[in-house]
Amino acid sequence: MLRTLEKMNHYISAWFERIGIIALLLILGLTCVDVIAAKLFRVPIHGAIDIVTLSQVVAIAFTIAAAQIAGRHIQVELFVSRLSEASQVTIDSFIYFLQLILFAVIAWRTYVLGRALQMAEEVSATLFVPLYPFVFAITLGCVPVCIIFLLKFINSVIKVLKR
Amino acid sequence: MNPVIVGFIGVGILLLLLFLRMPIAFSMAFVGFLGLAYLNSLRAAYYTLAVDILEIFSSYPLSVVPMFVLMGTFAFAGGMGSRLYKAAYIWVGQLGGGLVMATVLASAGFSAICGSSPAAAATMGKIALPEMKKYHYDDTISTGAVAAAGTLGILIPPSTVLIIYGILVEESIGKLFAAGILPGVLLTLLFVVTVSILCRRNPSIAPSGPRTSWKEKVGSLTLVIETLFLFLFVVGGLLVGWFSPTQAGGIGAGGALVIGLVRREFSWKKFILSCEDGLRMSCMIFLLVAGGTIFGHFMAVTTIPFKLVDWVMGFQLPPAMIVALIALMFVFGGFFMDSMAMLMLLVPIFLPILDHLQLNLVWFGVLVVLFVETGTITPPVGVNVFVVKGIALDVPLETIFKGIFPFFAAIIMLIILLIIFPGITTFLPSLVAF
Repeated sequence: MLRTLEKMNHYISAWFERIGIIALLLILGLTCVDVIAAKLFRVPIHGAIDIVTLSQVVAIAFTIAAAQIAGRHIQVELFVSRLSEASQVTIDSFIYFLQLILFAVIAWRTYVLGRALQMAEEVSATLFVPLYPFVFAITLGCVPVCIIFLLKFINSVIKVLKR
Repeated sequence: MNPVIVGFIGVGILLLLLFLRMPIAFSMAFVGFLGLAYLNSLRAAYYTLAVDILEIFSSYPLSVVPMFVLMGTFAFAGGMGSRLYKAAYIWVGQLGGGLVMATVLASAGFSAICGSSPAAAATMGKIALPEMKKYHYDDTISTGAVAAAGTLGILIPPSTVLIIYGILVEESIGKLFAAGILPGVLLTLLFVVTVSILCRRNPSIAPSGPRTSWKEKVGSLTLVIETLFLFLFVVGGLLVGWFSPTQAGGIGAGGALVIGLVRREFSWKKFILSCEDGLRMSCMIFLLVAGGTIFGHFMAVTTIPFKLVDWVMGFQLPPAMIVALIALMFVFGGFFMDSMAMLMLLVPIFLPILDHLQLNLVWFGVLVVLFVETGTITPPVGVNVFVVKGIALDVPLETIFKGIFPFFAAIIMLIILLIIFPGITTFLPSLVAF
């Protein structure tokens, strides 16, 4: 069951990353078009900065899980890797638990912040786009990250208990 | 409890979590959050956590990061590195140690379009190491040179480390890029001289490659013209004020993509893979900056950075000595941590001291890059060394580290030169429009 959940989570993370890539390419395309329009025709794209910054939120938030799965977040490998396997698994389970707590809090508090921005009807500076959906995108991006850490934590605890 | 004591306990917990293999970005965010909750209130910590993350993810100045990272991944996928190596190989391959010199020169060229040190080492390693093996080059010099030349990636603009440093200390990225050019060229020359000295002492470690005619040499320039044009357009455009940093990065990434498409180097799969790679690297950097920002807010509440200024000034040391001590901290930290993590952790702590000393932050930025560069090639966690090891599987790690030593000495020599002659760094930024 854990394996199925992990597969599903990887599948969702991969789709999230695809959405992130679309947002990234939107930033790239818009920046290039904006430069050409501004320099050659003296007509910069209205609200380009709003679109870039809001797309960036989507691009980064939706890639956290894929980057975690790919092991892209930097960590110090020096000390724990020299310990016995039993000690490593115990330490890992503790660290996965802390990371689960951290991302659960981030998901929860960005949701609360998003609700507050929704109530206050906060919008972007130039295009007046509502900001709250982009804050909810961070919340959504944190969900598969929480599941990754939850599954890793459960697997580590199972390993510890089996010993 | 006294906020300063809480701050030191926080730093202790941070180090403990780092040693327990918690990713650096998450450790800084976690400890920063806990510290703020203790010193202010849980409510304030919740607010800071959410707002800091939203502000970093939606920061326009930081949008320069994914653009320049994407430029590097597109340049890599578009085969620009291999064309640069081919050209350098044709020009200097016939000299004693010529293939190592070609690797250094091609790395310098690739660094002009890619701002990442491991990416430069990986690109050149894949191309140059098999060639040097073919001509019976000694593994020590070949692997050492590839790992060391990769460090040029974060010195010669565009540089991701200089971008993040610029955002942290609120300095012009254009000026920082300009400041990296002359030291980058000088380090390239120092590496070439190092190779030349090593080969004179023992010619058998790096025999000459095949001779090439002048016709071939001139013809090979077509292989580098696109890279040169892209560098001049992007970095030049940024320096003269045509583009903002994000626009320069966007144009650079777009240009690298177009060159790859025209050269028919891109398949759909390659394109998607390079987008994924660029996005994941950017995500890692954004989370590092977010974690560093939350931790920085905690540090500000503890007042440690400001107390540190009083404490250090109390010793009445000359500024050069203080810079040397900060350098030692960076170099020591670099033994255990990645360059970007070192930057996020140490720069905010030392910034008040630098401000107090009224040091030129552009000059210091280039020094910081050199300090963290040493960390990428020194044991035990020199990332470039592991990248090269991943390519040269049959070469022991000790051999690579041994090969790096002369190049490490060249970096130290450059640091000394930049401290004695700061004009090498500050001359070009003084000509930059903004």
